[in-house]
Amino acid sequence: MKDSVVRFTPIQRIEHSTVMSLFAVLALTGLPQKFYDHGWAQRLMGLLGGVDTARFVHRTAGVLFSLVVVVHISRLVVLVAQGRTSLALVPTRQDFRDAIVTLRYYLGLSDHQARFDKFDYRQKFEYWGLVLGAAIVVGTGFILLYPATLTRFLPGEFVPASQLAHSNEGLMAFLVVIVWHIYNAHLNPDVFPFDTSIFTGRISRHRLRHEHPLEFERLERNERNKSSKIA
Amino acid sequence: MHLFLLATALLLAPQNTAPAAQDAETCLACHSNPQLVTTTGDGTATRLHVDGATFAKSVHAKLACADCHTGMSTVPHEPRPFRTQRELTLAYDEQCRRCHFANYTKTLDSVHQASVARGDRTAPVCVDCHGSHDIQRPSEPRTRISQTCARCHQGVATAYVKSVHGRALTTEAATDVPVCTDCHQTHDIGGPHQQQWELRTPELCGRCHSNAALMKKYGLSTAVLSTYLADFHGKTASLRENQGTTPTGKVVARCTDCHGVHDIQKADDPDSPVMKANLQKTCRKCHEDVNANFPGAWLSHYEPSWKKAPIVYGVKVAYSVLIPFMIGGLGLQILLHLWRLMVNR
Repeated sequence: MKDSVVRFTPIQRIEHSTVMSLFAVLALTGLPQKFYDHGWAQRLMGLLGGVDTARFVHRTAGVLFSLVVVVHISRLVVLVAQGRTSLALVPTRQDFRDAIVTLRYYLGLSDHQARFDKFDYRQKFEYWGLVLGAAIVVGTGFILLYPATLTRFLPGEFVPASQLAHSNEGLMAFLVVIVWHIYNAHLNPDVFPFDTSIFTGRISRHRLRHEHPLEFERLERNERNKSSKIA
Repeated sequence: MHLFLLATALLLAPQNTAPAAQDAETCLACHSNPQLVTTTGDGTATRLHVDGATFAKSVHAKLACADCHTGMSTVPHEPRPFRTQRELTLAYDEQCRRCHFANYTKTLDSVHQASVARGDRTAPVCVDCHGSHDIQRPSEPRTRISQTCARCHQGVATAYVKSVHGRALTTEAATDVPVCTDCHQTHDIGGPHQQQWELRTPELCGRCHSNAALMKKYGLSTAVLSTYLADFHGKTASLRENQGTTPTGKVVARCTDCHGVHDIQKADDPDSPVMKANLQKTCRKCHEDVNANFPGAWLSHYEPSWKKAPIVYGVKVAYSVLIPFMIGGLGLQILLHLWRLMVNR
């Protein structure tokens, strides 16, 4: 019996690496546009070859990111319709109960820890935050890219509103990644220095039993029943 | 400094030992004659008459003739090698710098000097703007400045006189509205189509239009610069100004692109290109075929508010709450997690 199990499919791993790279490019070329009047932003713009180059790169990466989002959602719709994917990322009432149990545990009000399934509430929150954030930046991004075309259907005020929403949503996503995702994937003492699951696609049985006990128990049951189904 | 130079010039001129007034009298003995002429190399007669009364009223009344007109100590004067009177004028331009050195060095950076250097004999030198024997303070009265420029730049001068700035200057005698030199500089006049100058336009207009005391007097908002800079055009202009370049053929809209340049009018003037009814046409100067919704993308220098731009303001408020709440909440959960881990040990 192997000491690690498959957690992510190759397609999921490719999606993560693509989004990660595009996100870095978008943040690098986008944030200095938002903070145009700060010295660091102007120096960074200079290093990037000027605002026009930075905008070209930002727009290209934005269109690629939109494609990733569209492909991800379309694929998901098809897989869900065919019943070929698990719905492990759908938020349930249990997630709210888990959040409260976890907070009580952190605060020392209880020694009882929440027992998570394949994805815990924090992972679901981050996934859905990414999906909703992506919907906002992609939607507003296209308004900013084609303002003349889109104001044929929308009031003009949507353009400056999109500018604010796009840059603030981008800033928030950047901060969430810097604070929350970097902590959960790197700095958290449980995984420090590097949670490699999303890159290797595998997670150790030891970690699975600790972090996703419900999934681990189901896995063991299935193995006992000599079934190869994983989740 | 000027006084020192002046004194030095006087001391270093050995042929001018007589006091200025006496010197002028000596010269005027001949040159007050209106019939006095000479013939330049091209065969045209050039008048040599100087009106003593006019000179006595000029700012240079205390200078001696020979301070500027050197090499005239022998009578009759040595023949000069000038083909035309213009050649003589251009040669005499050298005399001004002996005292006015600071302004002379500034002119070296001007478009006028660039034309002179290219060999354009009609391009203005000192005396063309300042006058010669009748020289006066150039800015007294202030209206004189634009009149001086108008002698060559008639088209823009006519437009300027009809503009909100020009009307305030001429009809209201306002002393704090811009005349030509406030925007274009005086001696170091730059080319208005030079990229650096174009990129600096918002800064130039902002010098007055973000001055609270001045704008209050005219009932204008000082937020025009900040609201411009916060929008797409302004951000682009700022970032490009820092770069110091603009990709060829791509100029982002600056103040003058929407409001006009010399013909600038009040924003509520029916002829103003930024008047609401004219705005779509103005946007179309760059954004071809945009429809009537498009100008709404620009908030007309208003700060977003519930009244002026509720959607924009709503987004702004939403994020100013959401971002601190989100990052604070997540940060707090991280700290609680670390704290619990420490307690567990």
